[in-house]
Amino acid sequence: MNLRVNFISIIVSVALLTVLPVQANERAKLVTTMEATLDIMYLDAYKDYTSAQRQDAVRAVVEDKYDLEVLIRRALARNWKLLTVVEQTQVRNLIDQLIVQSFVDGMAGKDRPILDCGALIEVTSKRIEVPVVISFSSGKTFNVLYRLGLLKTGWQIYDIVAEDVSLVSNYRQQFDDHFRKGNGAQLIEKLEKLLKQEELDVSTIIL
Amino acid sequence: MSQRSYYKRLILQYCAFALSLCVSLTTGLAEGVYDYLTEEELYGDIEEQPTEVRDPLESVNRLTFKFNDFIYMNVVKHIAEGYQNVTPDAVERGASNFFKNLGYPVRLAGNLLQGRIKGGWLETERFAVNTTLGVVGVFPAANRFDRLQPLKSEDIGQALGAWGIGEGPYLMLPLLGPSNLRDLFGLVGDRTVNPLKEPYSVIGDSRVQTALGVSDFVVKSPTLMRTYSQMKDGAVDPYSSMKNGYSQMRRAMIQE
Repeated sequence: MNLRVNFISIIVSVALLTVLPVQANERAKLVTTMEATLDIMYLDAYKDYTSAQRQDAVRAVVEDKYDLEVLIRRALARNWKLLTVVEQTQVRNLIDQLIVQSFVDGMAGKDRPILDCGALIEVTSKRIEVPVVISFSSGKTFNVLYRLGLLKTGWQIYDIVAEDVSLVSNYRQQFDDHFRKGNGAQLIEKLEKLLKQEELDVSTIIL
Repeated sequence: MSQRSYYKRLILQYCAFALSLCVSLTTGLAEGVYDYLTEEELYGDIEEQPTEVRDPLESVNRLTFKFNDFIYMNVVKHIAEGYQNVTPDAVERGASNFFKNLGYPVRLAGNLLQGRIKGGWLETERFAVNTTLGVVGVFPAANRFDRLQPLKSEDIGQALGAWGIGEGPYLMLPLLGPSNLRDLFGLVGDRTVNPLKEPYSVIGDSRVQTALGVSDFVVKSPTLMRTYSQMKDGAVDPYSSMKNGYSQMRRAMIQE
C-alpha cells in the first residue's frame, strides 16, 4: 500500500513540477524583463546614458530572455523566403534596431508607467497569453497582450497586441505592401534610411 | 514482508518508474505530445491570416495621406502643443470630459442600433450624472459609481458593422484620416444624430456652432497627434501601418 502511495505521489509531483511552474514562471519572467527595460529608462544609474546606450542596454536585457527573431520572422511571414540569407540577417538586425529605438524614444520624457500584469491565459499547451495594463501618470492606460509560444528554445514572445492592434499583423501588412512592388534590397535601404533619420520628434511623442 | 525485501521492491519500483518516464518522454516527443510550435505554425500564414484590407484606391489614398501628414505635422501638431502649453492639466481634462459628454447621442444611437438596451441605458445614466453632478460634464462624476463605469465607445459605423455590413474599400479622408466606406456612412449618421452638429443642429447661431466645433477639435488634437505618432513612428511604411492599425481597431470594436 505504502509503495503504491509512494509511486502515485511521485508521478503526480513530477507531472506538476514539469508542467505548472513552467508557464507560471513565464508571467514573472515577462514582468521582470519589462521592469528591467523601464529601469534603464528611469533609474538614476542610467541618467547619463545617451539614447544609443539605452538602446543597447534595453536590447541586451530583452535578448537575454527572448529571441526577437521570432517576432521579426512572423512579421515577414512568406516574405522571409524572398530574402537571401545575407538579407535575412540584415533585415533582422535593422528591424531589431527599429523596434528598440521606437521603444526608447517613445518612453523618453514620460513618467515611469506602472505595470499591472493580469492572470496568465493558457490558450493551448503550446500557446499562452499575458495581459498587461500599462498606466501612465497622466491617467492614460494601455492594454497590451503578450502572446507566447512554446519553442525548442523555450517560451518566446510571438506577438504583442497593443490596444487591439497586433504588432505582427501591422508589420506584416507593411511588408506585404512593400513586396508587392519592391524587393529585399529596397527594404534594407528603406530600413536604413528610417534608422538614419534624425531622432524621432520627442515633442510629438510626449504629447 | 522483511525490511530487506521491502527496500528491494521499493528500488525496483523506482527503477521501473524512471524507465517508464524515459520511454514516455521519448515516445511523447516522437508523437508530438510534448512538441513545440512547428515552423509552419509559427511562421506560416495558416493559423493567422494577415489583416486583409481592400484598398483599390491606394494611389489616391496615399496622396491624401501625404497631404494629411503635412497638415498634421505642420499645423495640428503646433495647435496641440500650444494648447497643452497654455492649458493646465486639470482644465485640459475638464475640457476633454465636457466634449466626451456631449458625444452621448452618438454613443446612445450606436448602442440602440446594436440592440444594446442596457448599454444605452447606462450611457443615459452616465450622461445624466455627469451633466448634473459633474457640472455639464466637466467632471466625470459617474466614474465614482461602480455601476456607472465608462463603457466601450459605440458609434453608428460600429452598428453597421455589427449588422454584417462589409467595410467596403479603405478610404483616407482629407483631414479626417483613415476610414472606409461603411464608416464614412457611419460618420454621416453620427453627425445626423448629434444635436450640436449640422444638419439637425439645435444651435441656431452659426458662430456658436463654429466656436464649438473648433474647440472640440483643439481639445482632441493632443490625443489625435498621440495616436497618429504611435502609428507612424517605427513604421516601415506609415501609410500601410495606419491602414492596418485602423482596420484592426475597428474590427475589434465591432467584435466586442
